[in-house]
Amino acid sequence: MFRTLLGPFARFFEFHAKTHYRAERHSMALAGGILLAASIGGFIEIAPLFTIDDTVEAAPDMRLYTPLEQAGRDIYIREGCYACHSQMIRTLQDDVDRYGPYSLAAESKYDHPMLWGSKRTGPDLARVGEKYSDDWQVRHLADPRALVPESVMPQYAFLLDTPLETESLPGRLAALRAVGVPYSDAQIANAASDAFGQAMPDSDRAGGVLDRYGEETNLRIFDGRRDRLTEMDALVAYLQILGGLTDLAARTQPARGEN
Amino acid sequence: MIKRLTIAERQTAMLLSVLIALAGFAMAVIGRGDPMGVHGWIVLILAGALFFALASALYEPEPTEDRAVSYYDDPTKVGILLTLVWAVAGMGMGVWVAAQLAWPDLRFDAAWSSFGRIRPVHTSGVIFGFGGNALIATSFHIMQRTSRARMAGHISPWFVLLGFNLFCIIAATGYLMGVTQSKEYAEPEWYADIWLVIVWIVYFVLYIRTLARRNEPHIYVANWYYLAFILVVAVLHIVNNLAVPASFGAAKSYSAFSGVQDAMTQWWYGHNAVAFFLTAGFLGMLYYFLPKRAERPIYSYRLSILSFWGITFFYIWAGSHHLHYTAVPEWVQTLGMTFSVMLLVPSWASAGNALMTLNGAWHKVRDDATLRFMMVAAVFYGLSTFEGSFMAIRPVNSLSHYTDWTVGHVHAGAMGWVALITFGSIYALVPVLWRKQTMYSWKLVEWHFWLALGGTVVYVFAMWNSGITQGLMWRTYTESGTLAYSFTDTLVKMHPYYIARAIGGAMFFVGAVIGAFNVVMTIRSVGHQAQQLDYPTGSEANEPAVPAAE
Amino acid sequence: MELSYEWTSAFAQSFGLIYLMVLSVAIAVYAFWPSLGKRFDKAAKSILNDEDGPCR
Repeated sequence: MFRTLLGPFARFFEFHAKTHYRAERHSMALAGGILLAASIGGFIEIAPLFTIDDTVEAAPDMRLYTPLEQAGRDIYIREGCYACHSQMIRTLQDDVDRYGPYSLAAESKYDHPMLWGSKRTGPDLARVGEKYSDDWQVRHLADPRALVPESVMPQYAFLLDTPLETESLPGRLAALRAVGVPYSDAQIANAASDAFGQAMPDSDRAGGVLDRYGEETNLRIFDGRRDRLTEMDALVAYLQILGGLTDLAARTQPARGEN
Repeated sequence: MIKRLTIAERQTAMLLSVLIALAGFAMAVIGRGDPMGVHGWIVLILAGALFFALASALYEPEPTEDRAVSYYDDPTKVGILLTLVWAVAGMGMGVWVAAQLAWPDLRFDAAWSSFGRIRPVHTSGVIFGFGGNALIATSFHIMQRTSRARMAGHISPWFVLLGFNLFCIIAATGYLMGVTQSKEYAEPEWYADIWLVIVWIVYFVLYIRTLARRNEPHIYVANWYYLAFILVVAVLHIVNNLAVPASFGAAKSYSAFSGVQDAMTQWWYGHNAVAFFLTAGFLGMLYYFLPKRAERPIYSYRLSILSFWGITFFYIWAGSHHLHYTAVPEWVQTLGMTFSVMLLVPSWASAGNALMTLNGAWHKVRDDATLRFMMVAAVFYGLSTFEGSFMAIRPVNSLSHYTDWTVGHVHAGAMGWVALITFGSIYALVPVLWRKQTMYSWKLVEWHFWLALGGTVVYVFAMWNSGITQGLMWRTYTESGTLAYSFTDTLVKMHPYYIARAIGGAMFFVGAVIGAFNVVMTIRSVGHQAQQLDYPTGSEANEPAVPAAE
Repeated sequence: MELSYEWTSAFAQSFGLIYLMVLSVAIAVYAFWPSLGKRFDKAAKSILNDEDGPCR
């Protein structure tokens, strides 16, 4: 049994040892050369960015995504919103005038993965949070052309009728902690409950959200439905926090016209 | 095909398909209620079907001829057919995606059919499905020919080809269910990524073992490009896809990197996917099929070596030009810009080398649409690498970035260069593989050529106009110093270009369908030498002018 | 030695360009080394007649 399993490999070694040793050496040297030439450059260019922690702008007040917002972020990814909306305001004047203070590295330090995007078929969303009301966001997502006739955005009315799956949230937060987001044990353990509480401010689970994520957390019925927690709740909660995890950018770059 | 394997090989293949089917079953059970479970069933069904196909032919007689005196072309043939299937599927998807931007109601209200979900089906379908299959199939052909040796193994080529297509199927079906990592051109989730690593290792071993069998002292340069494609894509794929799954029973995972580091890793990957997936491998194709078809050796072999190493080590630095004016440190942006501009040297060396090869054979280019495909591909390669270096310059990028100019640039490369060199190579390769003298219809090749060229030009011009218009509108100020146009103002201006783009894409797609039809008819045709007519005919289909007696 | 951001980024910027130049020169020397010319010519021509089947 063992011999048969190793059979094919035996032939491989035999053939190494015998006639074609030289030829094999050439092709492996070529392969090694390619690997070396290609990886040195990438390594040298990218490695410094991993030592950047000590120089990146410090944002001590920065809060984490709540479980509901993280669930919304996952829906944003699932629906491919990043294909048409960037979340990166460049340092160009017209970018800043149109979308607000330019994005700082610190603002996406908990974004696994980042959603900076590469194309603006729709506008940048890095600071869209609280720019529109929850009601506007819900109605716009459900039927974009009812509010913006020129829009080419797909409609997402089905999010209003899809209950949000919260069971997997503790696992998701734990995975995020594994890659470096400082969620506490209590935040992970109560993730499902906190997701519910954030969108149901009248329920008894709402208080815990404020305890764990701070008094500033948005506690609202995002989708306008009291009867259940939907994916629309999560997505709107996420959109409304975009640019709002820290006010570092607003503090360091006062908008033109102000002051 | 199965009959050309020995019984022992058939058994090995059956064992492998059982193992894969079991893995699929495990995924279906562990991932029930999640898209991962659906993927499990897909794997189970496909591997099961393969198992029964093998089992039903298990006791057919073994091959009697000496296999060592011929090349092993069965996997290449299947690979070419899969390339065409993915071409039609991926480009058809592209036309739909483009049409949705012009007429958003073409989305038809299903959750799975929104732009965000089907766009990666288009991009992965054409890059990995069409491009990847073309690269694998042609590499199988070229590695044997240039080494004058039969492929090393009869199972591993099938494992590579079918395993890669399984990856593509999991990727495409996943996007429709919303399974994505959101990393552009690396969207598939962790289990698909792991599977691709296994397939890729087998591919590398197969390539090296075949090269080791070679009966030529020198490794022909086309193989260098294919090797660079295999090796560097492996490195890029593994690093960029490092992630922690939220659960081993579900598809969702979170990238190991965040923010700035993730952006840099992603675009290091993204740009080098262009370099090593969409350029290096296809240059390998060019360096083999163009001299072959023109019946002239490459103009300068030395230049091809120079440009090979240039591409290998310049490209890897260039990714950060996707991040100009962002939160990435400025020196990284500058480094990316410098190397992107330097890249023009090896890129134009390759394009020029290809065109100089045709010097003295221009009459062939005029008459032979297949060679014209390759010639125009080299021209587009030169144009889009120039455009790319230009767009990597920071001030230019400030205008072009986030607009359709980028989309136009990518498609100039993808349609004009990648797809045209692939179709040219397929038209050169199909008659060789199936032992025909020519393609079924040279007129259809001409039709395909002009549709593809016309479609590309329409597409690219539409996107240039749209992108530059939008970029300029975004930065236009009124006299009082406020922005002159709202975002929706620009959308109104885009609309006619989006329609033109959909038309250009549709032309290109129709060309691909014609090409697929032509290849199928070539395979089914009896071969011209066999057509001994014993009746008079005026028709091309060789039907008798006078019907046979009733 | 501390692997600080200043040090690694300065290294990337200086070494990156040296690397670029040294490799460019090395490759140019290899590609244009006179005695390799014959081998390259042979390789370039070798693909024009390779359809007969594997060498035995």
